[in-house]
Amino acid sequence: MKYCDKCEIKIQTNHNYCPLCHQTLTVLTEEEVIEKYPKTKSQLREGSKLFRKVLLFISLTSILVLLTINYFTGFNQPWSFIPIGSIVFFWLLMVVGFLSKTNIASKLFFLTILSIFFIYMIDELSQSEGWALNYVAPLLLFSCNLTISFIILIKRINYRDYISYLFLIAIFSIAPLILILFDVITVLWPAITSFGLAIFILLFIIFFFPKSIKDEINKRFHA
Amino acid sequence: MKSKTSKDWYKLDNSAKIFPSVSNDVETNTFRVTMTLKEEVQPEILQKAVDNTLERYPLFKVKLKKGLFWAYFDTNSKPFIIQPMSHIVCGPVHPYENNGYMFKVLYRNCDIAIEMFHSLADGGGVIEFLKALVYEYLVLTGKQLTPDNLIATTDQMMRSEEYEDANAKYYNRKNRKHVPEEQAYRIKGTPLEPGLTGLISGIIETDAILKLSRSHGMTVTEYLVSVMMYTIYITQIQYREQLKSNQKPVKIFVPVNLRKHFPSQTLRNFTNFIKTNMLMTKSDITFEEIQEVVKKQFSEGITKEELIRKMSENVAFEKNWLLRMTPYVLKQFVLKIGYSLLGIKLNTMSFTNIGRVILPASMKPYIKDVTAAVYSGKYNTINCAIITYEDKFKMTFTRSIIETRIEREFFRFLRNQGLDIEIESNYVEDYL
Repeated sequence: MKYCDKCEIKIQTNHNYCPLCHQTLTVLTEEEVIEKYPKTKSQLREGSKLFRKVLLFISLTSILVLLTINYFTGFNQPWSFIPIGSIVFFWLLMVVGFLSKTNIASKLFFLTILSIFFIYMIDELSQSEGWALNYVAPLLLFSCNLTISFIILIKRINYRDYISYLFLIAIFSIAPLILILFDVITVLWPAITSFGLAIFILLFIIFFFPKSIKDEINKRFHA
Repeated sequence: MKSKTSKDWYKLDNSAKIFPSVSNDVETNTFRVTMTLKEEVQPEILQKAVDNTLERYPLFKVKLKKGLFWAYFDTNSKPFIIQPMSHIVCGPVHPYENNGYMFKVLYRNCDIAIEMFHSLADGGGVIEFLKALVYEYLVLTGKQLTPDNLIATTDQMMRSEEYEDANAKYYNRKNRKHVPEEQAYRIKGTPLEPGLTGLISGIIETDAILKLSRSHGMTVTEYLVSVMMYTIYITQIQYREQLKSNQKPVKIFVPVNLRKHFPSQTLRNFTNFIKTNMLMTKSDITFEEIQEVVKKQFSEGITKEELIRKMSENVAFEKNWLLRMTPYVLKQFVLKIGYSLLGIKLNTMSFTNIGRVILPASMKPYIKDVTAAVYSGKYNTINCAIITYEDKFKMTFTRSIIETRIEREFFRFLRNQGLDIEIESNYVEDYL
């Protein structure tokens, strides 16, 4: 036990100054005590953030350089959007895909939708052949549907967290079929395969997990 | 797997709705209650005790999720993991850390602590939870205990009253007038490094402080709030009344446990507040003068009508259809702006007296001490939490500034009244 004769308080500590007035404490009984609280450490860690800062700096300067060059070569051909889009895609992939701690189904959902937009942009800015919507988009949706379904089958315990994303992605997979009606999609088999799997999954959810979906809707939409 | 009829998600109660939008690494809105045992804590047994207790208290076994209009608590199927206590006091609870749980169970030496995000429960709720947890822990270490109807043990079933939104229950449409308030005086100082909190506790003998405040014809809270106001006055304002920053009134936010005023057994938020309010722009304010003001403001603030009015004001805001129909993403901005205008800047500090912790007689021999602490942030740079266990009346100051003048003068004032004080500190200045 120690004593501060200025504040007239007792304190049990290994420190030799008073926490109130910072004057020296008088020792009443000599003893080694276990401090009540852990020792305070400075927690500013610049190192781990430096890499991120450098990457962000390079990304931003590259975007500026690309835009400048594109401006002088004529904006009627906005080719710079492909590398700029790639940089943005890289960052979203890193931040959402790897660093974020949301559940895997929501990551897959987000990344699938993001990739579709990104690939559609590349297709439009290059030859505009239509491969993005004809092949890649439906097949991406198809594989995303399949992956989330498998994850649910394997990790049963968390199915409630994932099922709403499966439901959403299945609904999104109906979109290619609508695009067929508007003649945007001209190759039928990928769109129809993706649609088939989506309908199968939707029916499966509606038949076997109606309560989960109802609960999920209640939760998400209560006002 | 839970049966299909059990409740697996909860709406946020009225007070809980504001916190997720306005909390960040600086304003963490967390608080900590610690029970100190007389023997060293064994982490493996504590982990088991937490798992068992969480089965009994499913309303804490949740994570925060965003809906289209409001956030909600969804059952968390991931395991809860206890942690050794770090040097961070009342740090932020991130939704994606800690497996999504909105509270932490910390252990160190003889201490078992719960650090809770304010959305999930208030002090009263956490005390019940902590009592049940420590009870379970002691039983698992082989102690013979009886709950004596003071603890909801793990053998019991959850009751639906435990998660009711009591604010909405006692809400009165007719008594919900909004009373505009002005901003409060703010205690300034040199900020500590972000994320660090200074902590100083003073332990006083319960009977002595009771006797002292009764000799002034006040309750303990009233008396100590008066001392606090006086300390702020002499350390921060006196002889500098002309300064522009000193023209705002000193307002101390004193939470009131509404369970003592309304019959509810909810473990979720059910607190309101009394606020003292005094403009201190004179150079000769005496302690007696402050006492009169505090007494008057307490007796006005504690009437049923006033408590219901404050409660209804908040509930009416939540029930506003325009706000209800705003998507959650936008609502967060609305709540943030509203809170910075109407919430935290209206208080100089918060001064919470959680009250007496009552334990079964068979449990008392194993418990040495109970401590409570609340976070302190950018606007309320110093806060105080009080908890009483047996003969230990423990006041804990937490601060986000380096200066300890207020604590020093506060305890010296009490010392001059003849009280013996023992201090505990986390010696935050060590990092400097």
